[in-house]
Amino acid sequence: MRILIAEDDITSRAMLQAVLTKWGYHVITAKNGEEAFRMFQDSDAPQLAVLDWEMPEMDGADLCRCLRQQERREPLYLILLTSRDDAGDIVQGLEAGADDYIAKPFDTAELKARVDVGRRMISLQNEMQKREKLSGILELAGAVCHELNQPLQSVFGYSEILLMDLDADDGNYETLKKIQHEIGRIGELTRKIMKITRYQTKPYLKSQIVDIDRSSE
Amino acid sequence: MKEKRILVVDDEPTILNLFTQAFERAGYLVTTAETAEAALKILEKESFWVFFLDLNLPGMSGVDLCRQIRHQYPMAIVYAVTGYASLFELSECRDAGFEDYFTKPAKLSDLVEAADNAFKKLARWKKR
Repeated sequence: MRILIAEDDITSRAMLQAVLTKWGYHVITAKNGEEAFRMFQDSDAPQLAVLDWEMPEMDGADLCRCLRQQERREPLYLILLTSRDDAGDIVQGLEAGADDYIAKPFDTAELKARVDVGRRMISLQNEMQKREKLSGILELAGAVCHELNQPLQSVFGYSEILLMDLDADDGNYETLKKIQHEIGRIGELTRKIMKITRYQTKPYLKSQIVDIDRSSE
Repeated sequence: MKEKRILVVDDEPTILNLFTQAFERAGYLVTTAETAEAALKILEKESFWVFFLDLNLPGMSGVDLCRQIRHQYPMAIVYAVTGYASLFELSECRDAGFEDYFTKPAKLSDLVEAADNAFKKLARWKKR
């Protein structure tokens, strides 16, 4: 899993990067809150972050506050790293939008445990978000199939009846065949939508759309 | 003549008209109903062996109607023609006693073939 470290102190940053990389995280680093905030605007920004509280430009608590004010597609899990340890500070940090905090100087075992909790939370939230999206898609799929297949049945069926009465050499025969073929294509699409069991997307222009083929495999 | 009669239930008159035309062209006599309740009323007076039911009906559903029909006439052959069915609904269909199901838009020739097969089956059962 990718993780972002925001820490102005070069030694501390290098140390965090080393241990987190050792534990299997893919680490990207920022030297201050503002740089971190910019990195979070990328479409593939990490969902998990360790943020130092005391940083120039924008501090960790402000960074949490700014990130929480944004509408984000994916959930974030933010851990504040702080030498402040009285209850008031901790409350202030959590209220700014942090999910957890680690007191400096930190114990590496504790750091690992808390970051791992973050990873579990993110996986869980991602899974839940996927399920919610799938259930929304299934509701829409049901409505689309129901509303669309009724008129499709009529058009498809009546064209079939018209074809029964036409000779193959009639000028309208081929035209009607084409119409029927195209309606058949829409019918195939609604059948595919009916088989959706997964939530898969594909890029479309600048956003993502549901990949009907892969979602109905 | 009883053998050649089909009861079609669908809440859309256009679809009823369409299916009626298709089955009549194939030589069947068709009776239609827009609701399950209306279908049950018809069944009080006349009997049928072959049915085509829409699943999504106002009031009683096509699945419940199928259960009632199969309860009354265990030999009846009932087909589902549905605009949408999840996997769960399909298994429920089999459980309710549907012979087979078709998703809309269904080919009329497929529906007629299903009717032909149903009557062939019934004829075979009667001969034994």
